[in-house]
Amino acid sequence: MNAIITLGIVAAVVLATLALGLAGVRGVRMDPQEYIVGGRRIGAVLLWLLLAGEIYTTFTFLGAAGWAYGKGAQAYYILCYGTLAFVIAFFLTPAIHRIARDRKLLTGPDFFTERYGSRPLGALVALLGFAMLVPYVTLQLSGIQILVRIASFGRIDPLLAVGIAFLLIAVFTYLVGLRGTAWAAVAKDGLVLIGVVFAGIVLPTHFFGSPAGALDAVQRDHPNWLTIAGPGAPNGITWVISTTLMTACGFFMWPQSMAAVYSAKSEDTLRRNAIFLPFYQLMLLLVFFAGFAALEIIPGLKGPAADQSYMLVVQQTYPAWILGIVTAAGVLAGLVPAAGQLLAAASIVGKNVLADYGIARGDAAQTLATRILVLIVALLAFGFWALAHTTLVGLLLIGYNGITQLFPGVVLGVGNRRPSAFAVGAGLVAGLVVLIVFAIEGIGQVDGINGGVVALAANIAVLAIASALVPARHTAPAPLPEA
Amino acid sequence: MQGRTTAVICAVIPFLALTLGVALANHVEPRVLGLPFILAWISGWILLTPACLWIAYRSMAR
Repeated sequence: MNAIITLGIVAAVVLATLALGLAGVRGVRMDPQEYIVGGRRIGAVLLWLLLAGEIYTTFTFLGAAGWAYGKGAQAYYILCYGTLAFVIAFFLTPAIHRIARDRKLLTGPDFFTERYGSRPLGALVALLGFAMLVPYVTLQLSGIQILVRIASFGRIDPLLAVGIAFLLIAVFTYLVGLRGTAWAAVAKDGLVLIGVVFAGIVLPTHFFGSPAGALDAVQRDHPNWLTIAGPGAPNGITWVISTTLMTACGFFMWPQSMAAVYSAKSEDTLRRNAIFLPFYQLMLLLVFFAGFAALEIIPGLKGPAADQSYMLVVQQTYPAWILGIVTAAGVLAGLVPAAGQLLAAASIVGKNVLADYGIARGDAAQTLATRILVLIVALLAFGFWALAHTTLVGLLLIGYNGITQLFPGVVLGVGNRRPSAFAVGAGLVAGLVVLIVFAIEGIGQVDGINGGVVALAANIAVLAIASALVPARHTAPAPLPEA
Repeated sequence: MQGRTTAVICAVIPFLALTLGVALANHVEPRVLGLPFILAWISGWILLTPACLWIAYRSMAR
């Protein structure tokens, strides 16, 4: 009976959000401009919601709490990087937007194609983005699977539940594109806020008198849990700082974030967004309270199981309708960003590999190719979910290590004295080789420094050497490739 | 040019606070509003960063 109530609420909320997304795009004609960048006239409020919608995902909802539960203070890096990312965005994204508007760019990799006058570089960037989005989509999938398992009190086969959820989101993405995703994000953020306030304030107050009471209990039982370990220690302060810097640089490199930057109405819209988006990070503080409270209430969850932390407390303590609402919030937090990520992964390969190389010609073929690719990414993420068993934060960091490798190319691409496409490409490949070697050898950090930062250093070093060997041939804007 | 310098300083401050500052503020005591000091420090800078960016915004507009 309880499972029917909770799952019924989840289903109703998901369907209502789909309806809202579809209503948001009614009467809008779909061409690639509209489908991928919302016609490039998304205003401040909708953009704020769109960016926040992509930022606050299952990862925020479950993964951050899971880390507070399983690893303690090193999870604070999430608060730091999210804030600093907007400082970078404040300076970087208006310049990217200006270039994208003047040169009519559609996708993140277009920026590389255009600024470095190289289609192969654009294709390489597209394939990298595609590959790095797979673990990110897997993160959402994995989170939804956890939620559905908890909401059904273990009665639903998780594989079946994830299958249904993914079918829904693939259909949704297929139908509405970027603008619809932004509208769905409106519904999602409202509900997630309710869920997070409940888990971060109501729940710890119920058990410990106040959120601070939960922290006191953690401090008593786990004295080192609330502060970061020393320099050089695994996951110590060196790791926290290096990971903060790396992920802050990577934040806006995701193809879906680049598309959101392009879709803004003006440079000023982006600047004002960057000023106010850090406030959103405070929501994460509540998520940490929930994770710390769960550590005291139901200790003993190990590894990826820690991602279930406070949801299990909600399941065991509160009536089914509350569990239903909190679960629905979490499911939306997975579905809506997954739609944006699927769309981004598909559109970059559709545009920068298939269309730019003449495999899919014309608007109709390109839109069709994008839609088929959406399904392919969904299936790949499904496969990755079945194979890789890691925490939600673990999945996020795999993606970030890779996507941050684009940062040097984007920063240098904004300016007028750009290195050669060869140099940028060589740096990118060097960074990826380091990451692949680390992945095979199982190395996550070097002397406490995040492995992604080591790869980024290799990337920049090779870029510098290669640009000395192969200087750029032109400093004038490169001609636009035929779209 | 004056405005640009102000803007750059406004950007550097949150960076220092949320990297090196975190290393220095890495303590539980003194508690601030019940939060461990390190968490209060980070939360404080989440609130101050928009202020820094706002100043940068105003100085660039001039």
